[in-house]
Amino acid sequence: MPSRRRALLKVIILGDSGYVNKKFSNQYKATIGADFLTKEVQFEDRLFTLQIWDTAGQERFQSLGVAFYRGADCCVLVYDVNVMKSFDNLNNWREEFLIQASPSDPENFPFVVIGNKIDVDGGNSRVVSEKKARAWCASKGNIPYFETSAKEGTNVEDAFQVIAKNALKSGEEEEIYLPDTVDVASSSQQRSTGCEC
Amino acid sequence: MKGGFSAPGDYIYFKSQVPLHKIPIGSKQWRYYDFGPKVVPPLICLPGTAGTADVYYKQIMSLSMKGYRVISVDIPRVWNHHEWIQAFEKFLDAIDVHHQKLVDMPNILAASCLPSSILFSFELAGNIVLLLTSISIFDSVGLTPSFLLKRYVLTGIRDGPLEPFIADSVDFVVSQVETLSRDDLASRLSLTVDAASVGPLMLSDSSITIMDTNDFCAIPQQLKDQVTERYPGARQAYLKSGGDFPFLSRPDEVNLHLQLHLRRVGVEAHVPSIPKDDVGGSSSDQNDRRRGTDDAPEDDRTDYSGPSGPTTTSEPPLVPEGQDSGNFENQLLNNAYLSSIIIGECLVPLMLQAILENRQTIAASNAVLNFTCELEMAVERGNNHSSLKIHVVVVKKDDVSETFITHEKSSGV
Repeated sequence: MPSRRRALLKVIILGDSGYVNKKFSNQYKATIGADFLTKEVQFEDRLFTLQIWDTAGQERFQSLGVAFYRGADCCVLVYDVNVMKSFDNLNNWREEFLIQASPSDPENFPFVVIGNKIDVDGGNSRVVSEKKARAWCASKGNIPYFETSAKEGTNVEDAFQVIAKNALKSGEEEEIYLPDTVDVASSSQQRSTGCEC
Repeated sequence: MKGGFSAPGDYIYFKSQVPLHKIPIGSKQWRYYDFGPKVVPPLICLPGTAGTADVYYKQIMSLSMKGYRVISVDIPRVWNHHEWIQAFEKFLDAIDVHHQKLVDMPNILAASCLPSSILFSFELAGNIVLLLTSISIFDSVGLTPSFLLKRYVLTGIRDGPLEPFIADSVDFVVSQVETLSRDDLASRLSLTVDAASVGPLMLSDSSITIMDTNDFCAIPQQLKDQVTERYPGARQAYLKSGGDFPFLSRPDEVNLHLQLHLRRVGVEAHVPSIPKDDVGGSSSDQNDRRRGTDDAPEDDRTDYSGPSGPTTTSEPPLVPEGQDSGNFENQLLNNAYLSSIIIGECLVPLMLQAILENRQTIAASNAVLNFTCELEMAVERGNNHSSLKIHVVVVKKDDVSETFITHEKSSGV
């Protein structure tokens, strides 16, 4: 019965840049500011549903609380290669995520870093070099790194493949928590005969 | 029930804070909660067959604190869809929901399947929030003793070891079912088996949210697939887990999706400068509202229990057939049959049909709310049941009339 269910992977996108995927932004309504999108991804002959939450860097999303962090399988950190501050903030976003989501194994939680908007101004306004970005990723436990142009969709699909793969890794390790069963039925039943009301 | 279940603390708190209304309207006795700022278009939660207005208490608590108005009703004792719809309209009139001028574009939000919960959000024409519930199918209900009825109502809920929160949610629902009288149970089951077809919906898919859990549930996968295929453009809000009653077991996630849905359809929360209607009334509410559920200890308490979205208890589909909504044939629901013929013997008859008609809306915009879901009933060997709950919430709104008309045209072509 439930075996037919498709795996569901929850991906959170954080960062000052936002909007990794142009398809995303089109689906947003300005009044919402942030939302989620579902995307089907095929990986090794299996179909997965990615539930992608993009904060678009908006504070308003914070008001939604921790619920949207919960159960995340992968976190995508996005910065704008043309804005140094967005790169500097990556660390803050990463820590924010680890605090909010509190994954069981923070050291090995799958992150992906995306340098966005590489196409702006033909790359002339770029201030964060790929080398620098990769160095930061390496220092944080070899986080996979991609450079994309959300506008043209460059590398976005590749990035999502890796996101799915990494999310999958952590998703499969997750197991439903079933506490050990303690059978108290017999004793409680006996007791209940007397003082129940 | 006494022995096995004790009411959760947050439920006790809820009962102490939120008044339960009991009023006779026409020949029907209504039992409902109506909480939150009255200026906000309400989110109306309809329970499925297994449940009462109380099953949404976590949504009522949390969303009202965030500035939304939530109404949760018990299904009155009605015996067919037509009666149900009429009764519901009277109810809305009685609580003055119709008379808010906001209407015209109802947003239907939330549908849930009893065993699993599927939440549909619809934008409807109307001010109302409707909740449709789940349906079960049975051979006959008439003379069945109540203990059997209870069992039917709860059919499909999984046995065996469950994660604690899910187990608690089942316990709570069961305890609520225990409070129902035999006639109430029989009424619900009758509604469930009352086949009706759903007319076209005048909603754009974008105003629909389907919420579902991704673990086990009593609803067959094929049926769920058909529902999502019917509304290809609907937002699909999956929860990784949560069982059959995620509004109880995963309240914060459900409430998050409800909030997103309400935002999407344009319902703005009203945050009073002085907490008034809100639960919890402490001054910290406001901060909490802004910050969400993250910190604030107080919030935690409420949020935790509160935030689950509207719970749907099982309600029978609203209306039978096609009331006036003939115009909207072009709408998405044209294919009105969610008929599911499920392979093998699992005929799951799910027919959910609801037609909501908002008179004012009609008068004003000529729009009719029509929501119909059809479930085909199937009986698999002897007594079989399947249930599907659909919750529909309709919210009244301003500005909606235009949107509404737009939909009409585009769909009409």
